[in-house]
Amino acid sequence: MAAAGIALHPACRVRREGFGLLFYDLRGPRLLFAETGDLIPVDFFEAPRGMDEFPDGVSARQKTVLQKFVKQLLDKGFLREQ
Amino acid sequence: MSNKYVEMGLRAPVNLTWEVSLACNLRCTTCLSSSGEPAAGELTTAEALDLVEQVHQARVFQINFGGGEPFMRPDFEQILDACHSRGIMTCISTNGTLIDAERVARLSKTKLVAIQVSLDGASPATCDAVRGKGVFNRAVEAVKLLAASEIPTSINTVLTTQNAGEIPAMYELARSLSVSLRVSRFRPSGRGADNWEQLRPTPSQLLEFSDWLAKSGDVRTGDSFFSLTSQERQGLGLNLCGAAKLTCCVGPTGNMYPCAFLQTDRFFAGSLRERSFQQIWDDSEIYDSFRSLRIHSCEECTRFDQCHGGCPAVAWHLKNDINGGDPECLERCVTSIADTARIAAAA
Repeated sequence: MAAAGIALHPACRVRREGFGLLFYDLRGPRLLFAETGDLIPVDFFEAPRGMDEFPDGVSARQKTVLQKFVKQLLDKGFLREQ
Repeated sequence: MSNKYVEMGLRAPVNLTWEVSLACNLRCTTCLSSSGEPAAGELTTAEALDLVEQVHQARVFQINFGGGEPFMRPDFEQILDACHSRGIMTCISTNGTLIDAERVARLSKTKLVAIQVSLDGASPATCDAVRGKGVFNRAVEAVKLLAASEIPTSINTVLTTQNAGEIPAMYELARSLSVSLRVSRFRPSGRGADNWEQLRPTPSQLLEFSDWLAKSGDVRTGDSFFSLTSQERQGLGLNLCGAAKLTCCVGPTGNMYPCAFLQTDRFFAGSLRERSFQQIWDDSEIYDSFRSLRIHSCEECTRFDQCHGGCPAVAWHLKNDINGGDPECLERCVTSIADTARIAAAA
């Protein structure tokens, strides 16, 4: 069985800011300020990817943090499973 | 809303208000920009399309189109197409009179557009007193066409003393048409300044509206009532003025301002005919002054964390003082009503 993929919801956008990533959801509209620093490039969310796919060079500890972050984005509707 | 991140300064606005033309086929008494005839030297199609590309490069998420009546521009749908092809979300504020089935069908092809139709009363008599004879019925017809499509649609009502009592009925009207209701603040700008004293809501109407809004979480306000926002709506939107921090305004001739209600020389941030969108956002002195604006006169107020001094545009238009604090905030409404009652009792 193929692993579930995740991607940015079509009603949402993301861009890079000094503090990390800024998410926007047209449906609210609402914003989410994510203090991710340089950990995640902005294009990380722009194409569908697996739940456990993370940028190269991410440590095991950072992966744990990122997994939690991705789960939060899913729960808040900024990402969706495909 | 996290003020910490906003105060760090964003690389671009989250959304842009773009008044694409001053041309309008109506003469509404509340119009913030005294629209009617097009402005001299409005952006050409090529300039407008170039601005769309600049906004895209800046990664602005959304453009809110207003005017004037945006559909008075013959190239407006071309501008919209340029936005949508770049993934820019758009919201159009229209009077509805130029909406027909063919236009709705064309706009329905994208999922990136939302439309607000202005309607300033729940009855033709109230609405048409502001917007002109027959406009209520034409706008309702437009809403019906849009509601039958997949375009997210709302009725936008500017709160005045004349329609304050009809807001619950506006809500029911919107529900009956299967659209949402958005209520905007009346500000003393453009023709709104000329008609301010006759149309401004009274402090008791504002308090009553604030109470009603607290119970109506599905009503949008475009964050224009944060100075009146009760505890119940905290978290639904802004708790500070977003001008030059989260948003900014481009006027019909390509001049940039902090917001649509401050399109005067005093608040001119730069011309897109002389500098780029990003340069003006990054370097404008007037934008810098808004980013560092602190309404010290409000800091002792118990509601300061909820509104941070309210709308500087209203303070400017009514008191000629950008630092003066919002004259129509919740606290001042309460104080005004108490003062009036005290004077009446003394008399």
